[in-house]
Amino acid sequence: MKSLIGFVAVAALLYAVPSAVREPYLLHVLVLTCLYAIPAMGLNLMLGYTGLVSLGHMAFAGIGAYTAAVLMVDAKLGFWSALVLGTLAAGAAGGAIGAVCLRFRSHYFMIVTLAFGLMLYSVMNNWDEVTRGAAGFAGVPRPAPLGAFGFGPLANFYHLALSAALFAFAVQWWVVRSNFGRVLVALRQDERLAQAKGVNAMLYKTAVFALGSALAGLGGVLHVSFLRVAAPATFNLAESINSVLVVIVGGAGTLAGPALGAALFVGLPEYLRVAAEWRLVLFGAALVLITLFAPQGLGGLIAGGWRRLARTRA
Amino acid sequence: MSAALLEQTVNGLMAGSVYVLVALGLVLIYGVMQVLNFAHGVLFMLGGYLCHFFFTRLTGSYAAAVLLAMAALAAVGIALERGVFRPLQGNLRNQVIASLGLILVFENLVIALWGPNALQMKVPATEALVPLGELRFPLQHLLIIALTLAAVAALAAFLKLSKFGTAIRAASQDRQAAMVVGIPVERIDWSTFALGTALAALGGALVGPLFLVFPQMGDAPMVKGLAGILLGGMGSVPGAVVGGLIIGVAEAWATLVLPTDYRDSVAFAIMIAILMLRPRGLFGVRVRGEQ
Repeated sequence: MKSLIGFVAVAALLYAVPSAVREPYLLHVLVLTCLYAIPAMGLNLMLGYTGLVSLGHMAFAGIGAYTAAVLMVDAKLGFWSALVLGTLAAGAAGGAIGAVCLRFRSHYFMIVTLAFGLMLYSVMNNWDEVTRGAAGFAGVPRPAPLGAFGFGPLANFYHLALSAALFAFAVQWWVVRSNFGRVLVALRQDERLAQAKGVNAMLYKTAVFALGSALAGLGGVLHVSFLRVAAPATFNLAESINSVLVVIVGGAGTLAGPALGAALFVGLPEYLRVAAEWRLVLFGAALVLITLFAPQGLGGLIAGGWRRLARTRA
Repeated sequence: MSAALLEQTVNGLMAGSVYVLVALGLVLIYGVMQVLNFAHGVLFMLGGYLCHFFFTRLTGSYAAAVLLAMAALAAVGIALERGVFRPLQGNLRNQVIASLGLILVFENLVIALWGPNALQMKVPATEALVPLGELRFPLQHLLIIALTLAAVAALAAFLKLSKFGTAIRAASQDRQAAMVVGIPVERIDWSTFALGTALAALGGALVGPLFLVFPQMGDAPMVKGLAGILLGGMGSVPGAVVGGLIIGVAEAWATLVLPTDYRDSVAFAIMIAILMLRPRGLFGVRVRGEQ
């Protein structure tokens, strides 16, 4: 109950940001943070809770994005149906490709996910008739207005991106508190033991792969609708690595971790006035240091500090 | 053999040789330390840049620049083993994540120092053409294949015949047993790492004059090298050689029937298909500690 109140309070605060701050630059950064956080939350379910390190995650965001782009521009479908269908397409692709990847374990799994990510990228980059190739898929529309509420203004798009991020957060929350989530954690801790207890490991892992990919797809659709263009480079290997980075830096296996990681990844460099290369050098170094000294990520560090504080006060 | 097929075979063997150089480093390091270093590709790239630096700034001799780049990367390899991979031993997930961090560090460090644009390296061997049948190939193509063959032969002899090579094989077969008989496994670890990164540097230094030196030049060799070791069988040195060459030749041949844009996908499709049929790769080594 306490955590629900906290969630509602934080959500209300975040919704109120545009009425308090009129600076469009900050809103732009916040929208991008949400757009990075949504796929990261999907990856967190896979990587953080189930222990599946996927190195092709953003390719599924690409599937969602391109499905929606084709549906909106070529099939003249509305944004909202395209959003749902794009998300579902990414989830379905995640289920199908995940079923293949999950036949492999540990490093084999990672390399096969990486290979699928690169193959999907190559399709986005080269299938000119459908994806418009490397030049990008221009002319993706902003969402159609809901009644009087249009999504052209930045503040309104921010509300949409925030709602989607809160939805993804709620999905994470639901998963973690459900039996489904408990099985996932059991699989991460000891797959053989879980199987001995009668868990169909393959089924559960495929399901979480599909769910994680669907969230990636949701983020992907919003991303291209925000930028109004779908470009293959948004979904390449580097972006998949960034997604892992966001989850790990924020704290894999914690609910707030991906959002925290995304805020740091997008927000910090925008306000630290340094060249793009040096900030990525910094993030890379931070990633190495976190694996060496704080494997729980920043979310874990904060939670640990909080618990210690609570204990000393009690 | 038709001209087109011959041309693509030589191209494939050349690309495959480069993949072999990457795959050998990956497989040696994996064999001894069970570390899968995804940053191997950026070390390959760093080798290319350092070779360019030594070649243009320090010595006019390409051969000397290649050797210096290999030595420099061996030192980088030792530093990484000490500073990053040894402390993470036994934790595959964190090793992989740390190596992803290293990718960001090195790739962007290079961009910060040398800029994002490709650098040219004027080496005579790229200009000289060698006739082969009715076709003529740049000498550098054949040089890459020959040097890779030489490196593979030297490595095989070293692993089979020398005492230290035998110790490396012992440590990768059973680390505990190797320690029991008095093999200094920690020394094996860092020297294997140095050897692996030096081989990656050799690859980068050889490819640089041919396809320019640029920050992403290691990406494709890294993933193809990974595909090669999976194809050949994780932990198998002959597997890495055969796997790397198969990937190189297959993707070159694929360009005869498919658009070149899909060359990379062919390599991965072959890898995944073979793994589905033979999960341990062609040379199927069962590696200790795997389920």
